[in-house]
Amino acid sequence: MNTLLQSASVWNDETLDANDYHERLSADGQVRPHWLKVTKEIDALGCQALKERSNAIEQFVRENGVTFHATDDAGESNRPWQLSVVPFIIGSAEWNSLSSGLAARTMLLETVISDLLGPQRLIREGIVPGELLWANPFFYRSYHELEKSQQKLHVVGTDLARGADGVWRVTGDRTRAPSGLGYLLENRVVTSRVMPSLIRHSNTLRLVSFFESLKEHLYSLATKRRDNPRVVLLTPPSGSYRAFEDTYLARYLGLTLIQGSDLAVRGGELHLKTLGGLQPIQVLWRHVSDRRCDPLELDPTSTEGVTGLLRCVRRKSVAVVNTVGSVLGQTPALLPYLDTAHQFFFGGPLGLTSARTYWCGDPGHFKYVVDNIDSLNFRNAFGVSGGAAIVASEFSAKEREAFIAALHAKPEAYVAQERLTYSKTPVWTGNQIEPQKATLRSFQLLTANGVKVLPGGLARVGHDQLELSRSPVSGQMTQDCWVTSDLPVDEHRTLLPDATTVVKLRRGGDELPSRVAEHLYWLGRYAERAEGIARVLRTTLARIAGEENWDRLPEVRRLIHTLAALGQIEPSFAVEPFVANLPHVEQNLPASVLDREQPRGLVRTLESVMHNTIAVRDRLSIEAYRIVQRATQELTAPTNLPSIDGVRSISIGEAIERVGRVIIDLLALAGLTSESVVRTHVWQFLELGRRIERAENTCELLVATVCPPTDDGKPVCEAVLEVCDSFMTYRSRYKNLTKLAPVIDLLVTDETNPRSLRFQLDRIAKLMNKLPSVEGPVGLDAIQRIVMDLQYRVKTADPIQLCETGDDGALVHLETLLKQIADDLPRLAEGVNARYLIHTEARQFLTGTGR
Amino acid sequence: MSGNGSTEITYKVRHRTEYRYSGNVAVCHNQIRMQPVTGGNVTCHQTELTVAPEPASRDEHFDYFGNRVITFSIEALHKSLVVEAESLVQIAPPRIAPQKADSKQSPPPDVSPNWESLLIRSPLEASHPLIDEHRFASPRIVPADHFAEYARGAFTVQRGVVDAALDLTRRIHADFKYDTTATTVQTTTEKAFEIRAGVCQDFAHVQIACLRSIGLPARYVSGYLRTIPPPGKERLVGADESHAWVEVYAGDEIGWVGIDPTNACLVGLDHIPVCIGRDYDDVSPMRGVVLGGGTNTLKVSVDVEPV
Repeated sequence: MNTLLQSASVWNDETLDANDYHERLSADGQVRPHWLKVTKEIDALGCQALKERSNAIEQFVRENGVTFHATDDAGESNRPWQLSVVPFIIGSAEWNSLSSGLAARTMLLETVISDLLGPQRLIREGIVPGELLWANPFFYRSYHELEKSQQKLHVVGTDLARGADGVWRVTGDRTRAPSGLGYLLENRVVTSRVMPSLIRHSNTLRLVSFFESLKEHLYSLATKRRDNPRVVLLTPPSGSYRAFEDTYLARYLGLTLIQGSDLAVRGGELHLKTLGGLQPIQVLWRHVSDRRCDPLELDPTSTEGVTGLLRCVRRKSVAVVNTVGSVLGQTPALLPYLDTAHQFFFGGPLGLTSARTYWCGDPGHFKYVVDNIDSLNFRNAFGVSGGAAIVASEFSAKEREAFIAALHAKPEAYVAQERLTYSKTPVWTGNQIEPQKATLRSFQLLTANGVKVLPGGLARVGHDQLELSRSPVSGQMTQDCWVTSDLPVDEHRTLLPDATTVVKLRRGGDELPSRVAEHLYWLGRYAERAEGIARVLRTTLARIAGEENWDRLPEVRRLIHTLAALGQIEPSFAVEPFVANLPHVEQNLPASVLDREQPRGLVRTLESVMHNTIAVRDRLSIEAYRIVQRATQELTAPTNLPSIDGVRSISIGEAIERVGRVIIDLLALAGLTSESVVRTHVWQFLELGRRIERAENTCELLVATVCPPTDDGKPVCEAVLEVCDSFMTYRSRYKNLTKLAPVIDLLVTDETNPRSLRFQLDRIAKLMNKLPSVEGPVGLDAIQRIVMDLQYRVKTADPIQLCETGDDGALVHLETLLKQIADDLPRLAEGVNARYLIHTEARQFLTGTGR
Repeated sequence: MSGNGSTEITYKVRHRTEYRYSGNVAVCHNQIRMQPVTGGNVTCHQTELTVAPEPASRDEHFDYFGNRVITFSIEALHKSLVVEAESLVQIAPPRIAPQKADSKQSPPPDVSPNWESLLIRSPLEASHPLIDEHRFASPRIVPADHFAEYARGAFTVQRGVVDAALDLTRRIHADFKYDTTATTVQTTTEKAFEIRAGVCQDFAHVQIACLRSIGLPARYVSGYLRTIPPPGKERLVGADESHAWVEVYAGDEIGWVGIDPTNACLVGLDHIPVCIGRDYDDVSPMRGVVLGGGTNTLKVSVDVEPV
């Protein structure tokens, strides 16, 4: 009785429309065999446990930064990926027939694309209308015979839906660079973690062997350096819809993740631009559009690819996956002709057919389309877009009229597809399980030994079938797709090479692309800058909060000067008459903690930390990302106080609390990088950025606080020691005796204090020695000279002498030293930038004509 | 002078392109389409492309339309680039050759098929690569009703395709102003049609747009035109120019027929074709991507000399 009650509360899918196909239940309401185990286990879990696991998924997705790129009315943004706790399940018998259909279809697409990019028999023999190719704006003629007799397709995606009759049909093929593989993998990782026993008990086929084969296949395509080829994944520039999954795939498969700006063609070969110079690439898995691959021969405005790539392909010096031009295989208008193409090439019917599709450029098709306009979905005939299909029946009368006019004016620009009634599958909605429509993207790998079908796929669910017609990475709810077997599944395979593989032991790591070095350098700088600002803020806020007469404290004014110099607050706060500004400080300084308007303020600095962390996500551990994300969220979380004139308010106590947490997070980030990043160039650039920034900030702080004349130096010194995290050290050395010379020694000349200026400069000198040097005349190069000079000045400075005051009571020697250093540090930074980081020059085009 | 019954003419063609830069160029990648290939009424006896400074690497291939393409890159710092194509080509009289301008005879009856017989009636009939594909839109030429309407003035019912195309050519020649300042190399076909002005590239684009808009295959030819010096004057070396014209498909029997809308004539022995494509973008003589270099100055000279 008890179980019955529980089951009634979980499942709300038992009253079904007889017209629907239900994945879990047969027409007579019986649970289908492949759903029995999962049904039973979900019953046993009950609503509460499902709720908890669903929350666990959300948390996991958030912490791992699994986002998709959303473009809507609100602009572009990254939002958390949607994964539902209940899987989509396919039984092994059904899967066997579906996967052999997918394999055959993949072979067909390979044959079709080889023909269209080669002899074009399909067109000559009147099987496919030539117009599909020749009027296709995506057919750049340079694609034709680019890679003669080479395999064209490697990774292929297929969009599937099951109609009311229970038959799987293809709604679209993806032959260019199908997206979803990374998300699908992440779905499996998350689901296995949240439902570990369920996935095991169901004998779910594992995905790892597909990815193993993929990796092996990519490496096998190299024609040179076959023992150790360089295989890279080309992703569009940062912030694209590919960003998350390409990072994920590269990390999982151990490929170098690169962007177009990392590439250069020299001597007819493709190279990776690294700190150590150009390194040849043998295999390029590209996730940028075909037409964006080469500005010389294709779209000249593209910066996503590299000039000269097609030439390398023609020379066979690099293998490109999938071939440049493979986009033609996914032309929607090809769908109606694939059955006859299969007949033509293979002499039999295509097993896995497409949903009925009509190309409106064919007068015979067009007539049917016009008569049945309201029962069809329309799309662009030539190009695949991420958007939803056009549904005339959902238009207003006016829109409908406009669409029909457009259709008649240019019928060849449209395809129409029958509207299947997608099958329904159980989906957890937060309180119970209800049936929703589902669609599936499958993935196939084509190798020399045939087609390997990924046992699973990216399932998407929802009530609105039109939403499901969009790109699979545009934000609908997804499910992990399980192919369940009756037999136990091999448990212990991972992507790690097996024991028989002989691995050469190595130190160091792979070469660092210059672009990545740049992000690491700026990550180091921004993280340090954020910590520096946060420390000054905390000390200042604590003084203001703790003292009735804080405006009379000598150190407060100087700390506020420092904050203005660091860019945390408007410089006007620091100018005279200072007293006039004081009433505002009490309110505005805490508010500045949340302020996005100050471009160099704490919030924006943390955003820059985040931006650079994301850009090098494949080089740092996932914890680094989590820490940065948490720091930003905690700092800018909503407060209890109302906004005043549109400015968010925060109590001073809360501000101190939040800044303190940011400091802890940033220290955790520093600790993490110091303990988990190997001492390769990755580390060197992170560290170099951090040290240069800390040296600059220390100069800034000391000039604003210690140098100006004062009647009472003690509180100023104590505040500075606190900001520099050196108070405890000072106490242990000098007890309560606060004197200038030891303070200056500790913060400037003490080579053992990681917060001193000397320490930063020693580190910088050491790091510079480890970076690749430029071959040239004997002796020091310009950068080394600056570093040596800086180091020398601090090394030879005498702390006692630095305490001497001038006529006005200011510390003239210290000020001179600090200002010299503050002038030289930017020169050093520029030198590093010019030599290692900035690699792109202005591009111009030649046309050979003056017109 | 060319005309019916003339025999072949052999030309030496030199096309020199020189870029000078204000700053150093770090790398340049170039693709050149300046050399003829044997085919049709053209026999290419010899052709050579010289590049200075010496490229780090250089490849040759034939593109989709059969044009000879040289791709090269210069990877050492340089401040100038000189590309010189020199070819020896023999031009035979085309199958349908122009009448002499001063001919008193009436032109021979048009033997070409009527234009309507060349249209396709169902999509699967468009099956001949390199012919039927020239019926459709290309990057620079999008067929449209206003082009069709303009063409229909010449393409009357049952008219022979060459006759009608020549008539269209004459109409363009009469209606459009040859004006080197009216357009640039980037000007769209739409714009040139709207302002009724331009140079050979624009005239060719407009005529192709008209032909394709009524369903006929038409393609773009780049090449050179021999210039005849005025009586008593020496031929000026290097004063010739690149030229462009149109070919329309006149059925399997006759094949492609060259028509020059800039000069309102059929293409004859004075026209030296180099490359073929759907529009200018397919045949642009030089495409280059250069890193650095600051500003540049360009000097082009073309010399067409009968030998």
